[in-house]
Amino acid sequence: MSTALLSDAVDGRAADSQWAVETHGLTKRFGENVAVNDVELLVPRGCAFGYLGPNGAGKTTLIRVLLGLTHADAGTMFLLGHAVPRHRDVALARVGAIVDEPRFHGHLTGRQNLQILAAAREPAAKGRIAPALERVGILHRGDDKVSKYSMGMRQRLGVAACLLGDPQLLILDEPMNGLDPAGMLDMRDMIKSLVSEGRTVVLSSHLLDEVERTCDAVAIVDRGTVIRQGPIAQLLAGSSFEVQVECSDPDRALSLLEATSFGAHVQVGPGGLAISLPEATERDAIAEINRVLVEGGIAVYRLQHIQASLEQWFLSVTSRLGASE
Amino acid sequence: MTTISDIDPPTPDTAPASISTQVRGDHRGSWIPTWGMVTTRFMELRKRRGLMIALIAVNIGIPVVFLAVRLVSHAVDPKSYGAAGGYSIFTSLVAGFMYIFGFIVAAVVGCTAGSVDLTEGMFRHLVITGRSRLALYLARIPAGLAIVIAMVAIGYTIVCAVCVFAAPTQLNYNGVIVPQGLSRPALDSWAAAHADKVICNFNYNGPNPPPNVPCGNGNGPSGPTAVVKTPQGTVVPVHVTQAQIRAFAITMANQNYSDYRATFLVPSTSLMIDVGLWIALEATIGFTVGLGLASLMGQRTVPVILLIVLELILTPLFSRHIIPHLVNLERAIVGVAMVHIEPGGLPTPFGGGGPGGGQGGVTLIPESTLAASLVIAGWIVFWTAVGAWRMRTRDA
Repeated sequence: MSTALLSDAVDGRAADSQWAVETHGLTKRFGENVAVNDVELLVPRGCAFGYLGPNGAGKTTLIRVLLGLTHADAGTMFLLGHAVPRHRDVALARVGAIVDEPRFHGHLTGRQNLQILAAAREPAAKGRIAPALERVGILHRGDDKVSKYSMGMRQRLGVAACLLGDPQLLILDEPMNGLDPAGMLDMRDMIKSLVSEGRTVVLSSHLLDEVERTCDAVAIVDRGTVIRQGPIAQLLAGSSFEVQVECSDPDRALSLLEATSFGAHVQVGPGGLAISLPEATERDAIAEINRVLVEGGIAVYRLQHIQASLEQWFLSVTSRLGASE
Repeated sequence: MTTISDIDPPTPDTAPASISTQVRGDHRGSWIPTWGMVTTRFMELRKRRGLMIALIAVNIGIPVVFLAVRLVSHAVDPKSYGAAGGYSIFTSLVAGFMYIFGFIVAAVVGCTAGSVDLTEGMFRHLVITGRSRLALYLARIPAGLAIVIAMVAIGYTIVCAVCVFAAPTQLNYNGVIVPQGLSRPALDSWAAAHADKVICNFNYNGPNPPPNVPCGNGNGPSGPTAVVKTPQGTVVPVHVTQAQIRAFAITMANQNYSDYRATFLVPSTSLMIDVGLWIALEATIGFTVGLGLASLMGQRTVPVILLIVLELILTPLFSRHIIPHLVNLERAIVGVAMVHIEPGGLPTPFGGGGPGGGQGGVTLIPESTLAASLVIAGWIVFWTAVGAWRMRTRDA
């Protein structure tokens, strides 16, 4: 079947799919080691999606399986609604990706490397080379040999390579690697602008702070298994939170609070009391803490609700899982 | 598990076009590479400065330097140094150098084309485009051959030009200036008229040694004599007449006629075309085998070493030494098969005589032209298939 006919045949399902990436029971083994373990992943279209996990969790392996760089041992997967690997040519036509460190032919210029990649795509891709270089900010270095590029510039060239196909889905594996703070800011802005154009960006990273600033939703992967996924705000809302209290008598405040039934973990620190409240604790608990302290004759100077960061949440989730084993 | 279906996608500023619209007519799954893929692959190879310098130096530089030295030497001292070109220079340069090193250089280009995408990290980028891996592999073949064949053609054209335009004006056969293009009777007549030169210089294969005649430089005996074997087996000197000497010279001329007829001042046009195609085929084999082997192994160095060993050690060894139990295996070596389809008039590569040239009389493994052709086609198809299979199945 020709590609054109193929695209017609699968277009109906693709248009209906609300997921940019959809996997069911996806498994990839390397001998005894299960790198991707029964992964159920749903990435909505038109958002920035973070794929988080510690080193060796199987993030890159999952991306490689999705892109057809290596085969899956079990499960099904869809990119932009197209089953892969069966319709990988149609699916990948509108996918751009960086996997691991972006490497190119060092003896060629950035522009020439993009010409090679554009030639493997549709004819219109050739016309996107200059705009792509301009968008990632290396148009002025486009005619320099890649061997003279810094790591950050190669990273940008990798993103430019992704843009050649006018992608609806970009999969970026650790795109912040090698970028200086200004470069990271540029990359963050670019990801946001790509999302604002209706594209989906899947960001694999261990830089939790960057993911929190950039992404709308995340999935947490550990030892090949997706253990949580969802919108960041929703995930964090269900997590424990901390209340910091600055008061006149921290030691007595500690005794008072330990006698209550909040289930809080209270510590005395240099800045006052740090009170950790369990998941699903209502916000009224903060007012209750204040009431207990005031009725106990303690002057409260400051009482601050500290929302858990993605990093804290990530560590709590992964450490809890580790402890449960 | 938390669900994420409640994420509201942001309103796009500019919605990307649908896939079906954009890929319609884009035969990305086809195994046929596009012209753009071939030209960019050609560019990638052509921009490798070190490889190109080596390619030019071996295919063009060395023959040019060799011929230039001969041209200058002959121009400075024509009596001591022969003509730069000519038939013998052509045959020895082509069979002794361009054939062997053409293969090696083509193999290096093939190994480079087959491995650099992998080793330099571009293979992954190319696979992600969704383009058929087979098309990615096949694009390398015309691109690489365009470079290899062009280089071989330039070097070969220079050799042909010098050998034709700087050829000697007189035919030198076994050290004797002989008129070119004589028929057998005419050569006999010429031999009778120059009996001493023929007897002193031509090869002879017969029961009795040639008569002892003066051979110039004052080294010859005082009178024409011969030695003959008596029926009892003893060797005795006898006096020979001028008529007997002329008759012996004619006999020797007849023995040498086939070799004389294959000796020319300049290579013929048909020979140059045949040899050019033969060298191009050898380069094509070197490239395709190198491409397939490097794709299989995923690197360049080891395949290059293996192919050099094949060309410089295994092929000469197996083309001359018949191992009874392995004779069919020896026939399956592509270099052995190539020797069997060598154009007539050339000495065998790796030294010695060949079926066409007939110089030296080295015995080759017997093999029909059809079998040799099948072996050559088999090598090209097999290694192309192996490389393509590995390209399709390799993890990127």
